[in-house]
Amino acid sequence: MGKVKLKYFSRIREAIGKPSELLEIKSNNLLDLIEELQSMGEQYSVLKGRDFVVYSAVDQNMVTDLKTSIEGATEIAFFPPMTGG
Amino acid sequence: MKNEIIVAVQKIDFDLNLEMESLKAKTKKAGAVVFFVGKVRDLEDDKLQYLEIESFEELAKSQIKEICKNAADRWDLEYILVKHRFGRLKLNDNIVLVVTSSKHRKNAYDASVYIMEYLKSNVPFWKKEVANKTQNWVENP
Repeated sequence: MGKVKLKYFSRIREAIGKPSELLEIKSNNLLDLIEELQSMGEQYSVLKGRDFVVYSAVDQNMVTDLKTSIEGATEIAFFPPMTGG
Repeated sequence: MKNEIIVAVQKIDFDLNLEMESLKAKTKKAGAVVFFVGKVRDLEDDKLQYLEIESFEELAKSQIKEICKNAADRWDLEYILVKHRFGRLKLNDNIVLVVTSSKHRKNAYDASVYIMEYLKSNVPFWKKEVANKTQNWVENP
């Protein structure tokens, strides 16, 4: 895998402390990516989803299966439950 | 029925009268129009300073388009419009507008409810209520 733009929203953005970052990642799926990020610092533990469900979108497509491949992805977003309307 | 779908995710407010005029120019066969407006409300036990709405704009727009297409498949509609705002809003400001129009009222009513239900928890918007004493991310009941 190469460089991927990671985007964080709402409570996840606040916990990680930034809205986005460009990172060189090794993981091939979301589950591994979450592990990989957690090894980078405690702030990423929010992605474990202990306090609320964590949703993700790969290249602006919502993904529910964390084992979905992220190979070739250019943008991955993480966000908490949505509260529109 | 041929239908028109209009979707916007925007900072600026919408004008209900202009939306109605625009709809009238495009819907000749529809006799029913349902407007749903969601607006900023005050809190139960604190005074709201403002509501901050965060959005993942591109994904929000595509998710709303998808639900509008689903509604158009399910009900006979001539016109569907959804405009959802983001940014800092104050008490009573408009948040969301859903307009559905059909030949008779039932389709427009049912489609409006369907679209709003979906919008509440499937489109990437997040609301933070900033009040005098508290700041809270809104959670769906």
